[in-house]
Amino acid sequence: MSAHENSGPARALTPAEWLGRAVTILVLITFALFFVVPLIWLLIAPTKTDRQLLLEMPFAFGDFSTLAANWTSLVTFQGGLIWQWIGNSAFYCGAALVITLLISIPAGYAMALTEFPGRRALLATTLVVMLVPGTALVLPIFLELSAVRLIGNPLAAILPFSFFPFGVYLTYIYFSTAVSRDLLDAARIDGATEFEVFLKIAMPLATPVIALVGFFNFTGNWNNYFLPYVTLPGKKAPIQVGLAELLSNVPAFNPTNAASTTISLSALALATLIAIAPVMIVFLFCQRFLVSGMTAGGTKE
Amino acid sequence: MKRVHLTLALAALLTTTPVLAEDGTLTVWADATRQPAVEAFIAAHPEIKVNLVVDDGSSGASGTFQTKISLADQAGEGWPDVVFSTQNNDAAWASKETNGVQPFAQVLNEGFLDAEFLKGFTPGALDPVTVDGKVYGLRNDLAPVLFWYNKTLLAEFGYDAPTTWEDYQALGDKLAAEHPGYFLGAIGDSFEGPYVYYWSGEAPIFQVEGETFKSDTAHPNSKKVSDLIDHMVANKTLTLDSLFGASFVANASKLVAIPGAAWYAGALFQNPGNVNAKAGDWVAAPPLTWKDGAKVTGNVGGGVWYASSHTANPEGVKTFLKFIVSDTKIAGTGGLPAYQSAADAWLDGQAKSGFFAGDFKGAISTAAASVWSGWGYPNFSPETAWAKVITPGLAAGKTMTELSADWQQEMKNEAQVVGYTVE
Amino acid sequence: MPPTPPPASRSHRRGSVERAQGRIGLAFVTPYALFLLAFGLLPTLYAIYLAFTKKGAFVGFANFLKVFKDYRFLPAVEHVGIFLVVWLVALVLLVVVLAIMVHSIGMRWLSGTMRFVYYIPGALAGASSVMLWLFVLDPTVSPVAFLLEAMGFDSLVSVVQADRLPFVLAIIAFWTGAGGWIVVMYGALNNIPREVLEAARVDGAGPIRTAWSIQIPLMRKWIAYMVVLSFAGGTQLFVEPRVLAQASRGVVSQDYSLNQLAFLYAFKQSDFNGSAAISLVLLAVALVLSIVFVFKGGLFERA
Repeated sequence: MSAHENSGPARALTPAEWLGRAVTILVLITFALFFVVPLIWLLIAPTKTDRQLLLEMPFAFGDFSTLAANWTSLVTFQGGLIWQWIGNSAFYCGAALVITLLISIPAGYAMALTEFPGRRALLATTLVVMLVPGTALVLPIFLELSAVRLIGNPLAAILPFSFFPFGVYLTYIYFSTAVSRDLLDAARIDGATEFEVFLKIAMPLATPVIALVGFFNFTGNWNNYFLPYVTLPGKKAPIQVGLAELLSNVPAFNPTNAASTTISLSALALATLIAIAPVMIVFLFCQRFLVSGMTAGGTKE
Repeated sequence: MKRVHLTLALAALLTTTPVLAEDGTLTVWADATRQPAVEAFIAAHPEIKVNLVVDDGSSGASGTFQTKISLADQAGEGWPDVVFSTQNNDAAWASKETNGVQPFAQVLNEGFLDAEFLKGFTPGALDPVTVDGKVYGLRNDLAPVLFWYNKTLLAEFGYDAPTTWEDYQALGDKLAAEHPGYFLGAIGDSFEGPYVYYWSGEAPIFQVEGETFKSDTAHPNSKKVSDLIDHMVANKTLTLDSLFGASFVANASKLVAIPGAAWYAGALFQNPGNVNAKAGDWVAAPPLTWKDGAKVTGNVGGGVWYASSHTANPEGVKTFLKFIVSDTKIAGTGGLPAYQSAADAWLDGQAKSGFFAGDFKGAISTAAASVWSGWGYPNFSPETAWAKVITPGLAAGKTMTELSADWQQEMKNEAQVVGYTVE
Repeated sequence: MPPTPPPASRSHRRGSVERAQGRIGLAFVTPYALFLLAFGLLPTLYAIYLAFTKKGAFVGFANFLKVFKDYRFLPAVEHVGIFLVVWLVALVLLVVVLAIMVHSIGMRWLSGTMRFVYYIPGALAGASSVMLWLFVLDPTVSPVAFLLEAMGFDSLVSVVQADRLPFVLAIIAFWTGAGGWIVVMYGALNNIPREVLEAARVDGAGPIRTAWSIQIPLMRKWIAYMVVLSFAGGTQLFVEPRVLAQASRGVVSQDYSLNQLAFLYAFKQSDFNGSAAISLVLLAVALVLSIVFVFKGGLFERA
């Protein structure tokens, strides 16, 4: 990366520049707080009881025994339902991840580095479909799956999750910029078959884009609510749908449940934390990497 | 090699069958309030396996029950065996076929449950769940509105207990002037307004005749109720808090009286997490009426148990239903059981315990026998319109008088969408 | 680097290589094309079929008319519309300003930290971000209760009142999505050659003029990209109002957004035809936007 900061040769700031700099930093920090305060609060909330949540300082740490109690009440809720939800999510997203990669990487390669009839049309279609938000197709896909009696089958999430035109586009961009045709031609002259060219020349170079496509696909699916909500009812629901279901067991939000408290506010906060943990961890580790992927759409290096 | 493994994994995945083992386990959907009763059944019938799924019981007319059944209908599986709903009007859709899928609710009176057993219900208890002579559900409890008051506080302040809505309002004035902070009820949930005040006040807000829906918020009785609410919200003797919200519970010691359903007994007064009343303080009195009005009252839910027409274990379902509505220990789940013998046992038990002062049994029986019949059970609820129009309206400082026309319009719109003719 | 055609000198092998390439190319895109068919084209066609029929019989625009006349339709359009206006204006203004600000601070570690912090909430989407915001917006437990109370809110119900809801939803959407866009815009700003900015400074342009006349015009494509994606995504509003409806005891109504209405048609009224009609309207909006952008937006010239 080239040096791009405006530091320039060291010189004294004029008062106006100094003021501008101070205002800039103040604004940036204010927004940093806006973005990060809710998350910090979420980390602390499960260490408190509901009473402490209502009455005590929002950022005071509770204690570990309360955290343990909240943990127990959450994981024993309806016989460990939360693990079933997490397991469902892992299954659907994991299976979809495998299929997505098997499909998108060759497709992107073919569109970037081979010629076949209909290539441009397929590429244009991919671009258009890629920009259509996934939710726009949820009800049509539901209606379609319902017509073929697939609702309630894990495939009703896995297959739609595996359709990922953005991944194909990313792969296409990657191969058409990072891999030169000359390199492939050289291999062909050496007698490699087309499939060997893909497997031995292109694939080893494709690790970054595989990771990128995998990441976007997995996190997008993990956070998807609408599609599995309609296509996988009941116990087959993934964690995002389960999380929303938990709400109806929280008396603070659903007041007719008067007699017995089943999920406390702090346990709900803990559940939210568990639901986001897998994605959050990947996120924190791959930050740099993602940034390059998000800009891959149009920068011309 | 890698590819072979992946292909195998894929093949394994595609052949995964979604059907769960059918081992006769009863799947029961119910709200948290019903959980202890279901657990009591599990303890009493260890031979029947029960899988309880706790949901919101469709409270506030959230439609959870119907939505989840629609989804199961589409999936062609995943139906529960038994469902509890806090609403009384689900039979309107559960008795009908949808998109070629059989009606969800099992007809209970034509051989499924013996006639002898069904006769044990309090007369009229099954009316809301009866469509064309077919019974589609069993009432959990009867929920007539009566008048609850704290006689210790009233005596301390030197007031008489009101018996009419006019006296109730006058008591509010005195209380507001002489003992500010003390209050006479809440209107923060979606059920108190329509059922406790308008229904009890004989207001023709929610009527069905055949396929016609009628609502008249301009009727003299409706106006009287609106004025009463506005008056008491203004002098703060009616709170906008939810009965189960933190602020109501925190102020519960200042609750002097409250018109409300029979199930307030267990849900409020005998609930350690709510009013948690001292034995002997509270009196269940006959319902308030207008000075010149009929001796009638309203009804707040009462809940219904439904059996699934898809069940693989009908015998288990029968055992469950009979137990849950008629067992003398748990039937009614804190309210007045709809099943006569269980109701008698509950009333006697309450009378014996002396928790409630006064003629508990007499007051509840009077109320149960006088629910006003001018209220319908169409395929939608007045609660959604209340929550959408009135709750935020009142919170924003508007009055019932200003809001009631919008409320009426919203209910009529809902009626039209589900196919009623609207006058 | 644009793709270059193979040099002519290898023309003797060219024919067979091209045939082999064509074969493998087709083989490689076939599975993807099948998915495109199954989960892009077919559902759309099926929705079209459902939207124009009733019980299998062609009914013209009757389903659409019924939906448009539904008393819930216009309010839902209005809700989504107001939300979009609030959100897009806030998104464009704040993202551009913040990206330029982050880009302008000399301290590398600070700018890196800021981008990182802004980006984190992007890990949350759907139900989990709404869940978190339920806590933040409920004055009884909120970490910023003092702010809510200062604005006169004492309960969740008063925070999510109908006239405030578009702002609430916009805040949630901004919190989740803005960081990613700030990072993208930052990348776009980095593509502006240093000499250009240097020249502007020598000419006496202050930071604001530089931003207005140099940086923003060069970010235009990206801003358009952001607006198109956000607009299309925003019309699809579903999980946020749905979870809020669950948590506010119906004060946020279940028919708040268009997608919720389509959902109610399918699952409450068992009217798949009406549901398909609404979905199709939403899909058409997204498709038109996307097509116009792909072919006129200039971001995908390579294609």
